[in-house]
Amino acid sequence: MSTQQTQRDWFNDIVQQNAGLLSSAGPPWLSRTREQARQAITGIPLPDRKQETWRYADLGKLYQQHYYHQQGQLDTLADDAVQKWIYARGASHRLVFANGHFVPGMSHIDTLPSNVTLGSLHDMLKTEPDRVSAVLSQFDADSADVFSELNRAFINDGLFVHVPENTVIDKPIEVVYLNIADQQNLLCQPRSLVILEANAQARLVERNVGSGRSSYFFNGVIGLSLAANARLQHYRLQHEGRNAHHLSRVSLRQQDASEYSGVNISTGGAWSRTEINARFDGPHAVCELDGLYSVGEQQYTDFHLDVRHSLPHCRSRENFKGIVYGNGRAVFDGRILVEKDAQKTDAQLSNSNLLLSQNGEVDTKPQLEIHADDVKCSHGTTVGKIDPGQLFYLRSRGIREQQARKMICLGFAEQVLSHIDDAAVHDFVHAQIAELLDQAAVVL
Amino acid sequence: MLKITDLHATADDKPILQGLDLEVNAGEVHAIMGPNGSGKSTLAHILAGRDGYVVTQGEVMFKGHSLLDLDIEQRAHNGIFLAMQYPVELPGVNNLTFLRESLNSVRKANGESELDAVSFMKLVREKAQLVELPDKLLKRDVNSGFSGGEKKRNEILQMALLEPALAILDETDSGLDIDALRVVAQGVNALRSPQRAMIVVTHYQRLLEYIEPDYVHVLANGKIVRSGDKSLALELEQKGYNWLLEEAAA
Repeated sequence: MSTQQTQRDWFNDIVQQNAGLLSSAGPPWLSRTREQARQAITGIPLPDRKQETWRYADLGKLYQQHYYHQQGQLDTLADDAVQKWIYARGASHRLVFANGHFVPGMSHIDTLPSNVTLGSLHDMLKTEPDRVSAVLSQFDADSADVFSELNRAFINDGLFVHVPENTVIDKPIEVVYLNIADQQNLLCQPRSLVILEANAQARLVERNVGSGRSSYFFNGVIGLSLAANARLQHYRLQHEGRNAHHLSRVSLRQQDASEYSGVNISTGGAWSRTEINARFDGPHAVCELDGLYSVGEQQYTDFHLDVRHSLPHCRSRENFKGIVYGNGRAVFDGRILVEKDAQKTDAQLSNSNLLLSQNGEVDTKPQLEIHADDVKCSHGTTVGKIDPGQLFYLRSRGIREQQARKMICLGFAEQVLSHIDDAAVHDFVHAQIAELLDQAAVVL
Repeated sequence: MLKITDLHATADDKPILQGLDLEVNAGEVHAIMGPNGSGKSTLAHILAGRDGYVVTQGEVMFKGHSLLDLDIEQRAHNGIFLAMQYPVELPGVNNLTFLRESLNSVRKANGESELDAVSFMKLVREKAQLVELPDKLLKRDVNSGFSGGEKKRNEILQMALLEPALAILDETDSGLDIDALRVVAQGVNALRSPQRAMIVVTHYQRLLEYIEPDYVHVLANGKIVRSGDKSLALELEQKGYNWLLEEAAA
């Protein structure tokens, strides 16, 4: 096990070895914020398994390797790892980030309503740095840790979306983070920003893919800001390569009566962790967080959700389900905080897990903390095996045992997937989960 | 078709069936009646192959082969169908997907071609009319949020699709109001045929007014203590079970 000092050195080494990659050109505020982050990395407390939120997360393998950013933009990258696109070309606004950099040659942005900005952060930093600065500062209050500082120290590229008032983007925005390390271990740290002004609507599909052989560390941060009555559907599909480390932070700000619906699918990576922080800045807002993770042999997956109700009349849901097989390990830490003034809050929190093997492990911690007295809140968590009654029912109808088990697991998954309000995405994920279950059949 | 000889079975080491004999031929409808705890549901479950029961003695022959050696799904492939007392809910599993998977599994096991989506839809709509099951229930998750009557109608729909050689109806009348019972019984009666046998397990005579049996058997303490025609059911309705139990004990 690495000591605190060798861990600190690991971060410092990454900072030093990658420092040359950032051009000194660029707005002064950017150099300043990167420098602040570099300074923070030398002193900020490191994740420690004595801390509750890092209790189950073993970073040992991450610290064993050095990681390097891709130098310069790529023209293209073999897209074998993508395997299949969710949408036909032209049916979405497609943005591909290969090894952390936007690749125009692989992307396809269709005609957009006037005044919509959709493109890469890298381009925006060149053309309209002040706008980026203003948007970034909306998320200044986010609590920082060493990984978010590492991302900040290298702010360079990512998705940038700005949808003006009363504007609807009718085609989905499809973002693919394609990660393929050829020679050395790769570090990908996109910083993405999505701003929906009042009454704006959009659908964002983010997908992480990587080749199975590649060793890389994805450390992405995305900030989402929804003004009054804005609506965002956000589908996040993590199927990184099986040697990857994946850490992503989602920061959500919602004003009056805005509606956010996020469905998080996590199936890939050797080690993966997603943190979602939601804050309400206005009443009557709705935040729905659904998620499905499947975790198998030599995999670890971890979700940390933190929804804070500080204002009245908001509604939130955390509905996460997990399928665990082989020696897979899953962690769910879901928190909903209802502060004193958040009367008439409606909050539901649930996590259920299908544990299909002897050696799998689930650590689940639903936390519903209520300080207001006029609220409607519920929470529940389960870890169980396939119900023998359901299995008998299907088999008694002639369905073979293996197939029956698969149907029950898919039905379990469907209770999350049904929240994906897009047939192309739903069917894509459904097929992916079915395929995973077929592969897992030997260990079921 | 079905010949049960001297069947003994336990659940959790407790003896439930204690020397049961029963012979059922094609075209016949047999009612099995008896007080609570007499072993009626156990018999139904053992025939379908449910885990949790140990057969300690005796044999069950179905179409000339030992039934007890077969897996649950093999029994279904060979024509055994159990309409359950408490049909299981399968959240997230679409009813149509389930019905098609079931039918095609049975067809495939019997060397028949699988039905494509179009032919299947045509067939399932036709069969659903038999039990007046509305289209919207076909599109919902299996039994999820179905009323008691809807669940039972979905059971009979499955029976109509699979066309089993031997249908076992386990307390199909339980939890049904009179209208639902009439619909379910209509469906069952439409499926009576010279090729098909049925075993109707019930506590009450009420169901037998709608599904008229050829034979009535009374199960008590794990064995059949009296057999007769449908008039036996009426006698039980008037006199209860106690007189038979006393007779059996004497």
